[in-house]
Amino acid sequence: MNALLAPNDYKSPLKPIWCPGCGDYGVVQALYRALSAVGRPPHEIAFISGIGCSSRIPGYTTAYGFNTVHGRALPIAQGVKLANPDLLVIVAGGDGDGFSIGGGHVPHAIRRNVDLTYLVMDNQVYGLTKGQLSPTSPRGLRTVTSPMGSLEQPINPLLTVLASGAGFVAQATPADMPGMTALIEEAIRYPGFSFVNIQSPCITFGEEEQQLKAHKARMKPLASLGHDPANQLAALDLARAYGTEIYTGVFYRNPSPPPTYDALVRERQAELQRGERRPRARVLDAFLKG
Amino acid sequence: MIEDLVVGLAGSGGDGVVSAGESLLTAASSQGFYALMTKSFGSQIRGGESSCRVRLSTRKVPNPGGVLDVAVALNWEDFRRFGAELPIGPETVLIHEAKAGPPPADLATPGRMPREVVGVPLAELAKASAGTDRAKTTVVLGILSGWFGVPQEALDRGLQKKFAQKGEGLLEANRKALKCGIGFAGEHPLASPRALARPAAASPKMLCDGNEMCAAGAIFSGCEFFGGYPITPSTEVMQILSRELPRHGGVVFQAEDEISGVGAAVGASFAGKKAMTATSGPGMSLKTEVLGLASIAELPLVLLDVQRGGPSTGIPTKPEQADLFQAAFSAHGDVLRPVLAPTSVEDTFRVTVEAFNLAELYQTPVVILSDQEIAQRKETVDPIDVSRLEVLERLRPTPEQLAGGYQRFAPTPSGVSPLSHPGMEGGNYLAAGIEHDVKGAPTASGAIHAAMNEKRFQKLAPLQERADLFERHGPADAPLALVSWGSSAGVAREAFALARARDLPVKLLVPTLLYPVAEPVFRAFFAGVRAGLVLELSHQGQLYRVLRMFVDLPPGVTSFARSGAQPFRADEVVERLAQQAEAFR
Amino acid sequence: MTPVTGIDFARITLRDALDLAVLIEEEARDRYVEFAEQLAAHATPEVADFFARMARIEERHRAELLERRNILFGSARSTLERRQIFDVEAPGYEEARAFMGVRQALETVLAAEVKAHAFFNEALPRVKDPELKALFKELRDEEVHHQDLVKSQLARCPEKPDDSEAYADDPVAQ
Repeated sequence: MNALLAPNDYKSPLKPIWCPGCGDYGVVQALYRALSAVGRPPHEIAFISGIGCSSRIPGYTTAYGFNTVHGRALPIAQGVKLANPDLLVIVAGGDGDGFSIGGGHVPHAIRRNVDLTYLVMDNQVYGLTKGQLSPTSPRGLRTVTSPMGSLEQPINPLLTVLASGAGFVAQATPADMPGMTALIEEAIRYPGFSFVNIQSPCITFGEEEQQLKAHKARMKPLASLGHDPANQLAALDLARAYGTEIYTGVFYRNPSPPPTYDALVRERQAELQRGERRPRARVLDAFLKG
Repeated sequence: MIEDLVVGLAGSGGDGVVSAGESLLTAASSQGFYALMTKSFGSQIRGGESSCRVRLSTRKVPNPGGVLDVAVALNWEDFRRFGAELPIGPETVLIHEAKAGPPPADLATPGRMPREVVGVPLAELAKASAGTDRAKTTVVLGILSGWFGVPQEALDRGLQKKFAQKGEGLLEANRKALKCGIGFAGEHPLASPRALARPAAASPKMLCDGNEMCAAGAIFSGCEFFGGYPITPSTEVMQILSRELPRHGGVVFQAEDEISGVGAAVGASFAGKKAMTATSGPGMSLKTEVLGLASIAELPLVLLDVQRGGPSTGIPTKPEQADLFQAAFSAHGDVLRPVLAPTSVEDTFRVTVEAFNLAELYQTPVVILSDQEIAQRKETVDPIDVSRLEVLERLRPTPEQLAGGYQRFAPTPSGVSPLSHPGMEGGNYLAAGIEHDVKGAPTASGAIHAAMNEKRFQKLAPLQERADLFERHGPADAPLALVSWGSSAGVAREAFALARARDLPVKLLVPTLLYPVAEPVFRAFFAGVRAGLVLELSHQGQLYRVLRMFVDLPPGVTSFARSGAQPFRADEVVERLAQQAEAFR
Repeated sequence: MTPVTGIDFARITLRDALDLAVLIEEEARDRYVEFAEQLAAHATPEVADFFARMARIEERHRAELLERRNILFGSARSTLERRQIFDVEAPGYEEARAFMGVRQALETVLAAEVKAHAFFNEALPRVKDPELKALFKELRDEEVHHQDLVKSQLARCPEKPDDSEAYADDPVAQ
């Protein structure tokens, strides 16, 4: 751990709105520890989120935070990173923010491979708005908008992200704080788009079998199954069990991470700027004829 | 000798009508003429009906013109499809492909049929001279050259530009076709001869369109990030910037959709860079929510909306001025964001620079309302003296402010608070769409909300005094008023000149700043006014309505508005003004 | 899910054992601080104060253990890290509840002490060194003592079940 920046240096004085018992308290603690381990000072960190209970998280850190609009954190975060690639960019949101309204942005953020870390606090429900169905809710779940049980199959965030080609995909739960802390740190360090699906239960609207006590009993570390994170096919296979099993750990880590979009953009800029360049003030010269 | 000539050409996409227009435009500009070209098409990607108008003048061209002086119809079906966009009259010289037969009886309204109609065996002449009937538009150029005095060398240069890359043989063949056309003109002089006056000595001019000027303005202003999505008629801005912006260390991000494009731009602005997006009406509808985020987070952003026919998909390739309501009012909640409208291609550069300045100065999204005509018409523009243009930067916190408890939304006398960005030590803050206090912490307090709304509105108060964003002409005490904006202002300027020549007591106001409505400026203008017109291309007369929300318009000031794709003509505006003037003669 | 990783109890040194005990108290203290903050922010002041007191108690335990460690080993840096322990004596995040009553809070603390006791008890047979065995026994028995304190407080607590949820308003959509 960086002696200069303790975990509490990343903690802001703002009091979380989260209900006591919420899994997100564990997530933010783990984040303070992970950031302390990585050692970037708060002013070099841009923490972008959408809308939802979990999206409040940037305000509870001392980083530059941007609590944006529902579902649009990924595009906004990519703009931040491309504008200043030296920043450490973290994106957070819930399963609805990320895979319902934000779903259209996920495959593109992944295929662009901008260097950022996307943390989704997946609780299979819409907490902020009082308990509606979410895209990861299991079929048959009774909620205020599915009083007779949901008729939809849930989306599988792990499969979706893996199939879109993400280079780092992991799942964690606050029921294993050291494990989750290590995964968040690893995701931040991964050079490229990294994703951690965090099973963070909603104490107020979640089901009994979704709470942390249940996680402690149910969760299975991928390492204990002998899974090799370099094996993408095996990862896809294991990811299919989302909804039935809570596998924790790294599903996939690309052993040869491809260049990030931001690095490629920088390279190209450098190339273009090597040649003769007209200063901005003379931009109109190109249109002069005669 | 004529000072001004409007030529309209129509045929099908395969005929190269638009290319011919471009050659004429290039030739005229190189001779020192001012010129302006617009294009109009059917909806096929290729091969549909195709037309262009080229207006040449020894003076600055204010708009594409009204009734054509010369109309060239390669066939009647295509010519007819353009209806009122290619208006002909008794003075029009109507040239047509002889094979198409004489003009149909209903081509013009009774009494409006051109007196001079010339059937030319264009296909035959082309075949004979160039070896292919496809060179017919080149023959037409030759005829125009012969009749109106556009020098051959100038047209030759235009041909070179078009054909040089396509093979030496083609260039040679088309040169022959040109000569053939000139020969035809010599052998068949016009009944009422008209030759263009010589312009003053040719001086370097720019040849460009509004989208190019917007891109140039962005580069000039120091824009470092463009996020957007292709949409007609704004896509060229993204295309130009994708080549140019990286050369200046900037980034162009073609996003997966409109929302992502503006979202990335807002992110870049949050990260401290000047950022913009460009779109048309439908895209702006999608971007509305993120624009609201930028407003409440007080982040600078420039949004170019190149208006096209609406609503919904509307008419993507024709101009309209019906996005003013959206630009000013589409945000939910109480939002005030500046809306600027260029009135010409030349103007677009200056307005873009102003938009970036306002965005940075007031930490707000700013909308540039261009329209398809300005964005895509090619115009000769005198060199712009950029030395007098200021480029402003956002107010950043001082080292002292960063060292001691920086508050992002701290109250200040102007309402503008110093704006930090990630990377700036001591400037850490939470930006958010949620209402917030001076530190950026979320709040649900009514009192704080009221104070924040007040701050966000009050910081824009200086715009009320920006008389420099308005163009005024005519006697200050004139009782007859003409107000117009966007591309319609080009028609208004010409109508104003014609009306003054007829001694009508009229004054002209062309606002660049449409919103907020600068009440003192409008009040001063309308003082003593008894009648007048607000001229714009929209079914509802949107500026007229917005003005009535904020200004007591004299009852005699009426809306002269109609749906897009039917541009105004100066003569019809003058007629209306004259009618109104009768009332108090 | 073992509460402690990366420690071989058969070969643990005295210094490491004391450092481990310090970390365990530190973790418990931090968790009680968090609970106190959460409950204070959620209109449950009585229990917030209670958890704040618990945090102070854990801090006292921690300070005592740290002093013992420093007397013996001076300022030599600990080789153990916080990430090696998880919820040894700290109650789980899921234990907190808005509007929780004092009885429920006491039960949470009791469960935490029972958990800690079980941890030391389970480690005891694996520890070989007699001096260390004595330490672990002492730590285990301390937990019993703590449990007794909590139980006596529980006894003084009204028996009636906590009905604060029944009175509380429904959650609010934001």
